[in-house]
Order: sequence, then C-alpha cells, then structure tokens
Amino acid sequence: MATKLANTNMAFSCRLALLLGLVSISSLLGAGDTEVLEPRELIRAAMEHWRGVTSYSEMTMIIHRSDWERSFSMQAWTEGDKLSLVRVTGPKRDAGNGTLVKEQNMWTFSPKINRILKVPSSMMNQSWMGSDFSNKDISKSTDIIDQYDHSLLKTETVDDHLLYTIESIPHEEAAVVWGREVTVIRDDFVMLRQEFWDQDDILVKEMNSTELKLMDGRVVASRLRMHKTETPDEWTEMIVDVVDFDVELGANLFTLSNLRNPRQ
Amino acid sequence: MLVDVGLRLAWRNLWRHWRRTWLTVGAMIFSNGLLIFAMSLQFGSYDMMIDNSLHAYSGHLQLQHPRYLDEPKMRYALDNVAAIAERLRRELSLDSISARAAGFALASSEERSYGLQIVGVDPVHEPLVSTLPGLVKQGRYLKPGAAGEIVIGAVLARNLKISVGDELTFLGSGFDDSFAAGIVTVVGIFESGMADLDRALAQVELGYFQDVFAMQDRGHSLIVRARNIDDVESLQAQVKALLESNQDISLRHWEELQPGLRQAIQADMASNSFMYVVLVVLVAFSVLNTQLMSVLERTREFGTMMALGLQPARLSRLVMLETALMTALGLVLGIAVGLVVNLYLSRVGFSYPGMDEVALKFNLPERIYPAISLASMTLGPAAVAIGSLLAALYPALRLYLLTPIEAMRAV
Amino acid sequence: MTRLFSQFKTILTLSWRNLWRNHRRTGIMLGAISVGVWAMIFMTALMRGMVDDMLNQGISNLPGHIQIQHPEFLDDPSVVNSIDEPRGDLLAALENNGVRVWANRIKVPAVIMSERESRGINLIGIEPVSEADISGVPARISKGRFLESNQDKGLVIGAKLAERLETRLGKRVVITSQDPDNNLAERGFRVIGIYRAELAAQEESNVYAARGTLQDLLKIEGRVSQIVLVDDDYRNVESLYRRVAAATPAGLEVKPWYEIDTYLAVMFNMMDGFVLIWVIIIFLALSFGLVNTLVMAIFERVREIGLIQALGMRPGLIVYQILLESLMLLLIGLIVGNMLALVTIKPLEDGLDVSVVAEGMAMMGAGSVIYPSLTLYDVVLANVVVILLGILTSILPAWRASRLDPVRALNTH
Repeated sequence: MATKLANTNMAFSCRLALLLGLVSISSLLGAGDTEVLEPRELIRAAMEHWRGVTSYSEMTMIIHRSDWERSFSMQAWTEGDKLSLVRVTGPKRDAGNGTLVKEQNMWTFSPKINRILKVPSSMMNQSWMGSDFSNKDISKSTDIIDQYDHSLLKTETVDDHLLYTIESIPHEEAAVVWGREVTVIRDDFVMLRQEFWDQDDILVKEMNSTELKLMDGRVVASRLRMHKTETPDEWTEMIVDVVDFDVELGANLFTLSNLRNPRQ
Repeated sequence: MLVDVGLRLAWRNLWRHWRRTWLTVGAMIFSNGLLIFAMSLQFGSYDMMIDNSLHAYSGHLQLQHPRYLDEPKMRYALDNVAAIAERLRRELSLDSISARAAGFALASSEERSYGLQIVGVDPVHEPLVSTLPGLVKQGRYLKPGAAGEIVIGAVLARNLKISVGDELTFLGSGFDDSFAAGIVTVVGIFESGMADLDRALAQVELGYFQDVFAMQDRGHSLIVRARNIDDVESLQAQVKALLESNQDISLRHWEELQPGLRQAIQADMASNSFMYVVLVVLVAFSVLNTQLMSVLERTREFGTMMALGLQPARLSRLVMLETALMTALGLVLGIAVGLVVNLYLSRVGFSYPGMDEVALKFNLPERIYPAISLASMTLGPAAVAIGSLLAALYPALRLYLLTPIEAMRAV
Repeated sequence: MTRLFSQFKTILTLSWRNLWRNHRRTGIMLGAISVGVWAMIFMTALMRGMVDDMLNQGISNLPGHIQIQHPEFLDDPSVVNSIDEPRGDLLAALENNGVRVWANRIKVPAVIMSERESRGINLIGIEPVSEADISGVPARISKGRFLESNQDKGLVIGAKLAERLETRLGKRVVITSQDPDNNLAERGFRVIGIYRAELAAQEESNVYAARGTLQDLLKIEGRVSQIVLVDDDYRNVESLYRRVAAATPAGLEVKPWYEIDTYLAVMFNMMDGFVLIWVIIIFLALSFGLVNTLVMAIFERVREIGLIQALGMRPGLIVYQILLESLMLLLIGLIVGNMLALVTIKPLEDGLDVSVVAEGMAMMGAGSVIYPSLTLYDVVLANVVVILLGILTSILPAWRASRLDPVRALNTH
C-alpha cells in the first residue's frame, strides 16, 4: 500500500509543474477500489493508466520574490509521463515561449529569436522560467520512482479522509540530492504536501496544495505552492484554471516543428 | 675653515692608497649601477604589469553592487547604469568610464554548446577602458546601437567552427531567471593570448544585452580607468564623494578586483629586496675592510696627533669624512653609470630569451622598459651609502679606545 | 720529487702564516665571502624550491609528463573529443618500453549539485593505482579515502568545493553531464574523500571519480579523454616522448608537458640562467673586496717580497704563494658560507610560509609555502664559480707582485 502510494506521489511531484500529478491522482481515482489491490499491482495499474492519459490545461504561474512578483498564463498538453508541451500565452513579452519535453530531453522555443534550442545538461538544474522549479523538475518522468525506497510513516484521519504520510529515500546512485522526501497523500490520491529534506535532515523546500477542486470530473489540487524553507517570502504558485482529461491530441503535437509553429 | 681643512685632509688621505680607494669605490659603483638598473627595470615591469592587467579588462576602479564582488550573480545589479556612467563622465570630465552587464550563457552551434561569459558593453566607451576591443584580429569591434552583433574569442570561434559573418545562438538565464536567448552575428574575433578570455568571453552591445537578459536599465559594473595609475587614489575619492548618498553601490579599487596582482608584486619585491640587501651588505664589508685597514695602518700617526692634543672625536670624524667622500664618489659615478644604462634601455627595451611567455602570463609587453624615477635612481645608492657609513662606524669609533702612548708604539 | 714537495709545503706554510698576519682584514674578507656564498646558496635554494613547486604543481595539474589525446581536446575538452583506449602498438609501447606510469583519463565538463548549490566543474575519471604518481591527489586527501578501483562508485572533491556546495564527507551529490549523443548523463555519487590542493582554483574545480564508473555514466565504453604518461624525471622526457610518438596511431596528438604549458617550460629553462646570473653578480660584488685584500696584503709586504726575490726566490713561486693565500681565503670562506647556508636552510625544510601573498603566488602558479630545494648542482656551481673566478681575479695582483723590482721594493719604506 505504502509503496504504491509513494510511487504515485513521486511521479506526480515531478512532472511538468505538477500538472501530471493531477492526472495521476485522477487516473488512480478512476482505477477505483484501491484498498483491495496489492501495492505492486496498484503501481502497475497506475502506470498502465498513466500511459494512456492525455490532458489539456490552462494554468497561471505566479513567481513571488521579496521585491517583485510576476505571473504567466500558459497552456499545457500532456500525454503520459514522458511527453509534454507548455506554451506561454501571457504576458505579451513572454507570449509564444514554449517548452517541449520528450523522454528526458527538453527543448525551448523563443519567438523573439524564432529558434529552437535544446536545453543542455548543464542548464537542467537551472530554474524553469524563473520559477522555483528547475528544468529538471519539469522534465523528470515516473521512471525516477524506481530510484527510491518508499515506506509508510503514518496514517491519520482528517475531515473524513485517510491521510498517508510516506517517506521516500533515494537509492545510492539516484540522481537526487535529497536525503529524503516526505509526502502526504489523501485516500483519494490528492497530494497535499511534499517536503524535501537534506541529508542532515533539515527541511529545505516544501510544496503544499492550498486548494482542491473538482474539475472535469476529478478532484484536482488546483493551487500548489512551492517554496524554500529558508526564504518563505520567495515562492512559486501554480493555479490550474481549466483542465480537460482524455482529450484528442494531434499526432504531431509533441514535435519540434509544432513547438516552433503551433498547430494546436 | 676647519671643515675645509678636514675635508682636504680626508681627500688627501684617500689617495694615499689610490688602488684601495678605487677598488672600494668600484664596488660601490658596481652595486649602485646594478641596483639602479634592477630597480628601474623592476618598477618598470610592475607599472606595466599593473597597467596592462588592469587595462586589459578590469579597469582601475569599478562600481558594483555591494555583493557582486564575492558572488557575481546576475541578481546583484546596479540600476540605471548608462545614466550613472554618463553622469560620472560629465562630473569627472573623464571619458574612460564605461558600463557593463554580464551573464552566463551557452553558445550553440549545431549539436554542441560551450559555456561563455556574455558581456554587454558600451561600444563607444569600452575601447577607452579596455584593450580588448583593440585585439580584434578578424572583422571589427561592435558598433554603437548595433543589436544582434557579437565579438567572440579566437578559441571559442575555433571550437564552434564559425568565423566572421556567421550566426551564433546563445541561451542563458535572464535577470528574472527566465530563459534569455538570442541570435547574433559574429562581427569580430579577438585574440588576447589569455586562454580564459579567448575561450569563454563574448561581448555584445549593452542595450541589446539588457533587452535579451531582461535587465531593463540595469548593469553589473561601471569600469573606470584613470588617466594615470597615480591618479587612482584621488579619482577614487572624487567618485566616492559623488556617490555619497548611494549605499547600494560599492566602489572597488583594483587591488580588490585583482588581489593576486598586488601580491605577486609583493612576493617579487620581497625576493628582490633580499638580493638588494645582500649586495649592500657586501659593499659594507668592502668599506669596513678598507677603513679598518686605513685606520690600523695609521695608528702611529693618530697616536701622534692625539699626543699633540687632537681629540679622538675629531679623528673619528676624519675617518667618517673619508668614508663619506668615498661614498659620494661611488654615489655620483654609480648613478651616472645607472643612468646611462637606463637611458640606453629606455630606448631599446630589455628582453631575455623566453620572456614572451612570461610576459603573456603577467600581461607584460615583450620588451620591458625601465621606469626612471627619483625612487629607482636613488633608493639603491642611498642604501649603499648608509650601509657604507654604518660599516665605517666601527673603525671610526675604535679611535676612542686609542691611547697616544700605545698607539705611538704600534708597528 | 721530495724537494718539490717540501718546497710546496714551505710555500703552503708561508701562505697560511701570511694569511693570518693581519687577522682583522682576513676576518672581514672571510665574512664577506661567507655572506656572499651563503646568499648565493640560500637564495638559489629558495628560488629553486619555488620554481620546483610551480613545475610540480603545473605538471601534476596538466597532468603528466606526456599526454596523448584527440587533437582538438586541449582547446575543447568535451566528451566528443575522446579517443580509444590504447591498443596494438601503442599499448605495447606503453607496457614494454619502461614507461614508469601510464593511465587512461577522462576529463569532461560537468555540473555538481548538492541540496543547496550547484557548480560547474571538471569531472575527471582516473585509475586509482597510478593516480598518486600523476596528479598526487591521493596523497592530499584530508578526509575520508581516495578511490580504490577503476569501478569505485565514490567521488572525491576538493575542500573548497565542499564548502561552496555546503556538503561534506559521506554525503551524496548529483553529477550531471552529457554523453557523446548529447543526452543527459546524470548520477548520484557519495563523497568518499575530500582533498586539499595548494591552489584554491584546483580544489574548487577538479572532481575525481573512477574511470570505469564514468565510462558507464557517459556511455563511452572503451574510450577515454587522454592517455597520460609519467616518466622518472620531468626534466628528461625526450626519449620517451619520441618512442611513444612513434607508436601512436595517426590522428592522435602526443605532447610533452613543455609543449602543453609553455609558461612552465620557460620557467624551467630560465631557472638555470637565473642561478648563474645571481651567483656571478654576487661574485662580482665580492671580487672588489677580494682584490682589495690581496693588493693590500702585497703592498704591506713589498719590502719583504723584494727581499725574498733578492734572496733568489723565483717570481713564479711568489705568484703561487699569493694565489695559494687567496685560495685558502676562498676555501675557508666557502666552507663557512656553505655551512651557514646549510644551517639556515635546514630549519626551513618544513616550508617557509608566504601565505600573506598567497594569491600572488597563485598567480605565478606556486603555492603559499616555499620549500627550499638545495641541489648539488647549485651548490657546486656556487663553489666552483667562487673558486675559479676568485683565483682568476687574484692572478693580476699576484703577477704584479712577482714583477716587482727587488731593488726598488727594498727601498720602499
């Protein structure tokens, strides 16, 4: 049970500014009666389900700093956990900027120079669009779940929901700097909170779901905030304005040419 | 009158043993000449080292965000740099002040990318603070107001396999951490000989940089180049006075910008000083030898003079006077020799095999020219003179122990 | 024969006695010679120590005495410019030709990341067996251990880098680089060792992992960035260089250290010249005093010399006697000077701390502690120069003394 839950949450913490997280929750909700299934089976089921899911969403990202704040509006398309495309729609200055993630690779398009650039590995640790998410956060896939050991720390009941607190410790060779990650998940697979602890067991950054909504038939964490513990006045918030699941996506959606010349 | 007699006596005494005197004076001339030559060359190379190193890129003074020196992050920027630069140029009536902004980016060709420092510069004033624009070997330097132009180092051009006229794409993080990307045309390729610069430095126009890197009107440094290295301190005070109200700007002296430079000079000075001291000590030995001998062989003579009522003080003054005359001779001739050597070298320059490599490492030209200054011309000879006079003290003071009877009996 | 010997003995005794007739003058001259010789040897040892340090550090930072690599690697140290591990002739040459140490190395740019910081570094894949002889890093481990096998999973970083990353021994960090196909190559590593280097820049930028582990990470099975050779003495790598160059397949570049870093080569070549110039300058300063002393000694003895000449001593013997006197003076001065040098250099063997100007020393490529290096060559050079030139300068006064006219000499008061 614990393993399964953790795996799911790892996955959804990763992808594309969490949008995929929403998808994964919903997909598991769809799978229904989770209590009965064996954890392993559940992971597999979750993964299977995952692969097929497509989504279209409209989001707002707010980047807050002590002396300024910016917000972007954007559209995103996803298919499974390895394909995603994000396009900025506002403000005007940034409109048209796009990010394509395919497997582990990431490309960025800027209309100003009308050119696609592959994000080199040395820039993967840098911030994605100035947010508190790194390029790596955006391009990670569920594969990374296998690089952790997961265990259930506790369960508790709050507001008629069972909350699972799961601790995930990365394997020795995992490309993860954290000592451990702790995730709180609700029994309907909505992730409420994720904490990143360093190897001295000091909390470095955390992400909280501050608003849950029913959207397109599924419960979605519609407002998420990521911030570093040391600098509480610097944070990034993702607000899901619209989400549609199981949408029809064009065959050429996740291609470099589409990144450059949007057809959808 | 008395002094005159003493002087004449001392002078005559000196030439009683003209060989010995000349040999001692010769040692002084040699040392003085050598010290003048070495010090002038040393000061000359320091001046050039400082001047060239600072002129290459960093300038004499820089205005920066207080935290930029320790953590050169894009975030630590100054507002409205172009306007501050303009104001400083006006108030100080000094043209060699230029604003810069700098960021990290990856320059890409096809599938490869190379990390580089992109610097936004003011094409009009940059050539006045830095020699880099003058080192463009292919193409030309940036033109004012020319967005989309870049000059890059020769090694980077080689690695990217591009030449003048080709396009280059770069990608970096802007002031707000967002992607900053640009396509620029290579208009010039510079070759400074300094691997770091040639491999990883590129310059674009400041306004273009600010636009691409979302800097608005910000920049990271104002480079100030004084007319002369000796003006730096007074210039620093002037700039400080102009900025008094502003706590967000730190004024950095070149010693802070390039701490290695001053220390390399100090280390070199320390080892050279050792050599100079040894030379002076050897001359002092020579003088000690000469004067002690000359006193010893005149023991009877001195004894007689004392018996005639002369005070030991006057005798020892005589010995010191002799030394002073010798020293003066050595001083004048030594300085003359040093001056001739220096004048010659300041025409043709000084070089030794392999100096071009060392020169490159320390930003020196391939020939160095001595700095003929009051200090370099007199410091060494003065040390020799003082050393000589000190050495003569022992023989001179010994005279106080002399008793006339014993002295007159001496061989 | 015996007569010649007894004559020599007489002259020897005569010279010795003459030398001490004016003990003050001899004492002062001895002092001058001793100080001069001391300064020659002491200064040379310090400079040698500094230049040796620069060369050793420079060479171990390259690293190696000879490198074999892709012709573009030095300009562009990328994973793309890697080469095959040695095979065939080259391997045979490396294995059989008395190469003291050789090793495959990988060097690529990478990013290292801790929980709080990330920095660009040089990621270096080494073979632990030979690394002590190549970069010397194994000996500079300050905490933990060095890598132990070609497949070791650990990572060794510099103390300064650890500080920058806010990480330490035993913690995990993530390394990110790219494979030749431009795909992301990343992996977690545990810091198993922390090293210290003389130059802060090295500590901050060089990160060491095992060669095999990096080949796996970068997906370059059987390929490396460089093949590095270390011979017995960096001063003498010509013959090895020629042998290896002959066995290296076309398309690869073979370079000795002095071609890779020409500044080091110049420092190396200039050092001997510097020592010679320094020794000669000191000698010249000494020579005035030496001649002076001899001239005075002869002057005092003009009558005496005239007398023994009148008594039939050959002028040649007078020259010998005076030269012998000068030789004795020089020898005693040398002995004292050498001993002084030895006594002053000994306590500095543990290093002369010049860390006040550490950054300046770093600019020159040297560390902040100078270890004086007393070499036989320099000591012999100083002594030989002093003796030879000393005798040479003494010849003129001695010869003049022998040419004195006995009659006039006897009449001098």
